[in-house]
Amino acid sequence: MLLLAFALAYLGMVLLCLTMNRHRGVLLRADARLPGATILRLLAAGCFGIALWQGIASQGGEIGTVVWFGLVMLSALLLVLLLAWRAHWVLPAVPVLALGGLLQGVS
Amino acid sequence: MKLRQSMAGLHTWGGLLPSWLLFVIIFAGTVACFDKELTRWMRPALHDGVVSSLGADDVRGWLQQNVSEELHAFWMHGPTEREPYWRLGWEVDATKTIHNVAFDPRSAQAEPMAETVGGEFFFKLHYNLHAGDIGMYIVGLAGMFMLVALVSGVIIHRRIFKDFFTLRPKANGQRAWLDAHNLFGVVGFPFHLVLAYTGVAIFVASYMPAAAQVSYSGNVMQYFGEVMGSFEREEVGQPPPAPVSLDALIVESQRQWGGGEAGWVSVHHPDDASAVVDVRRRDRSRIGSPQDTLSYDAGTGELLNRQDASTGYRAYLWLAGLHMAQFGGTLVRLLYLLMGLAGCAMLVGGLQVWLAKREQRGDASVVWVRALNASVFAGLPLASLALLWGNRLIPAGFAERAVAEGWVFAGAWLLVALWSVLRRQQGRRLLREQLLLGAVLALGLPIINALTSDGHLIASLGRGDWVLASVDLFLMVAGLVCAASAWRLNTTPAAAAARGRAARIQEA
Repeated sequence: MLLLAFALAYLGMVLLCLTMNRHRGVLLRADARLPGATILRLLAAGCFGIALWQGIASQGGEIGTVVWFGLVMLSALLLVLLLAWRAHWVLPAVPVLALGGLLQGVS
Repeated sequence: MKLRQSMAGLHTWGGLLPSWLLFVIIFAGTVACFDKELTRWMRPALHDGVVSSLGADDVRGWLQQNVSEELHAFWMHGPTEREPYWRLGWEVDATKTIHNVAFDPRSAQAEPMAETVGGEFFFKLHYNLHAGDIGMYIVGLAGMFMLVALVSGVIIHRRIFKDFFTLRPKANGQRAWLDAHNLFGVVGFPFHLVLAYTGVAIFVASYMPAAAQVSYSGNVMQYFGEVMGSFEREEVGQPPPAPVSLDALIVESQRQWGGGEAGWVSVHHPDDASAVVDVRRRDRSRIGSPQDTLSYDAGTGELLNRQDASTGYRAYLWLAGLHMAQFGGTLVRLLYLLMGLAGCAMLVGGLQVWLAKREQRGDASVVWVRALNASVFAGLPLASLALLWGNRLIPAGFAERAVAEGWVFAGAWLLVALWSVLRRQQGRRLLREQLLLGAVLALGLPIINALTSDGHLIASLGRGDWVLASVDLFLMVAGLVCAASAWRLNTTPAAAAARGRAARIQEA
């Protein structure tokens, strides 16, 4: 379950990242169309919220929140490191992480 | 602007001066996330994962047979998932010296294992640098400087959100290192802040003792007793009656708690009629587990007190628990480990910014700072690897074996420091050689482990013993990373020369 929470936190970070022109140009083609920054930010907040809910559901309120903080921080670190050295891995990493999370949830 | 400028000075100097010390503290704390797993690796007797079948009375029996001095107290902890063996400690009444023993889980009788400092070495290094109370105060001071640096760092950072995802490794040295410093500082900010704060809070009663000293007219033990709601009674100076079974008291405690596990079992002044047995509850399901301790008369087994911790103490336990990461299992410890490494990276990045700035000005004295960097940032990890080598190579029967291991660590660190000072003018070459040494030491450890014990990687993986295997695997990964970094440093001198000054700044 928690790999899925990590995937969601990572997706949230990617969405936040896409609101900035500097990074958007690196990640997407120039003619790609995206919703406005406010909508992206709301979607990101939603991702973080669901990740928090998952953490709490699997670990309880206290520990789940601590775990969620850790996952959010690490997802941002992963995103920035990928962005600096392997920018073309940033977007494919979202489905890969989500798939891993789903498989972890099923097994 | 005025505030930002003054804060910049504070951040630069208040962050720089304790940063080597903070690196030692954070690195040791990071390793200590998995101290018990490391202890298992360091004790070959624990490699096959047998859980001890001894009881508390067997352990007390060993103590009565082997220690003749009058004791102030002794305490013991039964086998757990991470530590499948009995631990015993005691304090001699006359000399106040403390001794510790761990018992071989494979043996049907209480039989001590070969001495080792264990993973606890890093835990102790983390909170008092192995320097007793003075070390504890030094660490506390460093922790407060870290809080100052964190807050001032946020104030002077102009583009905290705009640069949140920014890392430009190809930019010039100072820019790249500033990005890295900001990244690890800002992204890890909640972790660093909470850990620095709770770390300082753990010893708050020692750092700020005045109020308790005054209110309790110097009797601090009474203060602690009242706050914790624990039970004490005075010695009566009479010989004790035959003690009741400790195992029976543990079972009785579990009945009182309605299930639950017993943790530490301690006996105060065991050689007196007033002896008290405390059985503490072990609860890993919460951040601040309430220290639900039951106190019994050691002679009759009568329940004397049930600990009722005050609200303030519960809040304290929660803060301390948040720091110690004994909840939430391997997942939480892994998160703390990774964030701790991010903290180390933040420190290294910050120092590189400081160096790069001064190097651009052509300041000649920076080589000494670079030598200090190499002695600490490379010295501590290399000395830690040397400690593990010492653990494997010092014979099991060696007298004062744990002390010898400590000397291996200290000696290795001194040698690396000396090496760094002698080679201070050739920073790049020094770093490459230190990385190579790290690779050799780290990659050698799984091999030496296989040669000196039955717990080698293939055996532990075959048993599905991931806990033990992960130590070997981690060492291998660390060794490969060191080797790859050394190789990269070796193959890029041409590119580095082209980049000129910037590359020289990055190297140290």
